[in-house]
Amino acid sequence: MMISGRSLEAATALLTGAFGAAVVVSSLDNGIGWSAAGVDAGTFPFIVGLVILSGSLFNLVQGWLQARDVILRPSELKRLGLLFIPAVVYVGVIPLTGMYLASAFYVFGALAWHKRGSLMFSALAGIVTAVALYLIFELTFQISLPRGALGDFIGF
Amino acid sequence: MENLEALMHGFGIALSGNHIFLMLIGVLLGILVGVLPGLGAPNGVSLLLPLTFGMQPVSAIILLSCMYWGALFGGSVTSILFNIPGEPSSVATTFDGYPMARDGRPTTALATAFGSAAFGALAGVVLITVSASWVAKVALAFGPPEYFAVYFLAFASFVSMGGSPPIKTLVSLAIGFALAAVGIDTVSGSVRLTMGIDELVKGVNFVVAVMGLFGIGELLIAVEDEFHVKAISSRIEWREVFRTLIGLPRYGWVLLRSAAIGCWMGITPGGPTAASFMSYGIAKRLSSRRAHFGKGEPEGIIAPETADHAAGTSALLPMLALGIPGSATAAVMMGGLMIWGLDPGPMLFIDKKDFVWGLIASMYLGNVVAVVLVLLTVPIFAALMRVPFFIIAPLIVIICTVGAYSVSNSYLDVVMMMGFGIVGYLFKKLHYPLAPLVLAMVIGDKAEDAFRQSMLMSKGSLGIFFSGTLVTTLIFVGAALLVLPMIWQTIGKMLARSPSRP
Repeated sequence: MMISGRSLEAATALLTGAFGAAVVVSSLDNGIGWSAAGVDAGTFPFIVGLVILSGSLFNLVQGWLQARDVILRPSELKRLGLLFIPAVVYVGVIPLTGMYLASAFYVFGALAWHKRGSLMFSALAGIVTAVALYLIFELTFQISLPRGALGDFIGF
Repeated sequence: MENLEALMHGFGIALSGNHIFLMLIGVLLGILVGVLPGLGAPNGVSLLLPLTFGMQPVSAIILLSCMYWGALFGGSVTSILFNIPGEPSSVATTFDGYPMARDGRPTTALATAFGSAAFGALAGVVLITVSASWVAKVALAFGPPEYFAVYFLAFASFVSMGGSPPIKTLVSLAIGFALAAVGIDTVSGSVRLTMGIDELVKGVNFVVAVMGLFGIGELLIAVEDEFHVKAISSRIEWREVFRTLIGLPRYGWVLLRSAAIGCWMGITPGGPTAASFMSYGIAKRLSSRRAHFGKGEPEGIIAPETADHAAGTSALLPMLALGIPGSATAAVMMGGLMIWGLDPGPMLFIDKKDFVWGLIASMYLGNVVAVVLVLLTVPIFAALMRVPFFIIAPLIVIICTVGAYSVSNSYLDVVMMMGFGIVGYLFKKLHYPLAPLVLAMVIGDKAEDAFRQSMLMSKGSLGIFFSGTLVTTLIFVGAALLVLPMIWQTIGKMLARSPSRP
């Protein structure tokens, strides 16, 4: 699969445009224009939303007319996916397993996947990561990281 | 000479064992993020920011600003040794630094870079020392209209100087404004743009945004390329370092000019990246050795490095004196000031003298510490470049995730951080500038508040922005900054169209 500059430009413009539209609609709740309290709270977001919306429209047309070359080759896309999908899974399982377990398995998985170095080394790196997180955040800076549903279940 | 006196007082504050230790830590961490691919000064500072919440403000800013110096130096190391700019502002250093190192003179290249960088930083600090309280005095005359005018000036110069497609810059800027508006509106007290998600009442935290945009975004860009790192001997020959530093004054004119460009670009928020490119371009245009540029010419290293560091340092002046960040990193640090309960702006110079002069004194000391350390640690950090990307990458993801969570113990922030990561990747890939977004996010609602307060004062008349000398000047300079580059571009295009003579 290849991704052209054209489709990436279009996707980004649609994304920013949708955000702009949401800002415009949402700002109407706060009132726009001039009232006894001065400039109403919704006025700026309304204008800003319109700027995003019209700018995105311009970028959509511009991107469609100009960008013709392939911007992401299959090999690049594969490397991108191999980094991004595990990262999303990692963030996704945090409410379930908590941050320590997720981080340990994430590091273990990422290292084991590359098959350079033994499983033992990968497992050790995962454990070291979790312990380091605990030492730095929980002990040194007293920031409690989430333990997840699993942590609640076992009472950690 | 009240500035000098205050500076001496500042040295008294900065020169404690505790602070020297923080400087060492800051510089080392800074060099680390500067050297590591995918990390730069903005994410380094934003990663450390949550950890500083419990510190004294002076200690916290010393840690962060030293990290900033370290990152500026670290970025040049990889640019020169591996042709990998650790951050955008050291891209111009690769043009001549890498050829020189490749041709077997890495020590000369590094020493030239660090020497001129130190000179640039010194020029920036001297500028801050001399003009800080003067800027504060001018700034005391500031009311809401003047504040708005200065914000306008900052936005105008950013939009027109970035070199990115103008409409993309505008969209990026506007998205920043919209993100700044999320949450409780300070003028009316009403809740805005939460899109039905109650947790968004607290607003979108800029640390969360910056970590996604820079950290995850850069990582996704970096993973696309396979890394081809050629190992170069990074042994430092001390005699060569000394000889290079002694020889630097021969390039006095280049140093001075580059420092001036850097200072100017740092104060008007053009930023270090623009400054280094501009300085390199001008040096190439004016040099008698033009033909040697790009093949390892010392002037080609001195010009961008001096300007980069002068801009990086002087960018802190508008942040302290006016509450306007001159660079993305300064924007992140300014957010930190607010979190520590300090209000950046003219009153800082009167209410928190110790803080301001302690910081300025620490800039002198921090830069000395940074130059010494960076020369000592080059071989160690060069070895780090051999740590494979597949180990570094998951660690960056974890650091960003934990960092985003620890801002306000919220899982929603982690999800938003990943979302910002995708946006950061797309924007970088498609040449949307990220700096205007960060800038608008940090000072967007302050600009809006200033405008609305001005409107309340004048009962809705825009004439208030032309009611005094200061505010009128600022508005006109801002308008000029907005319009002039477009005129230059048009003239440039017309000249390019006319047949060129050989």
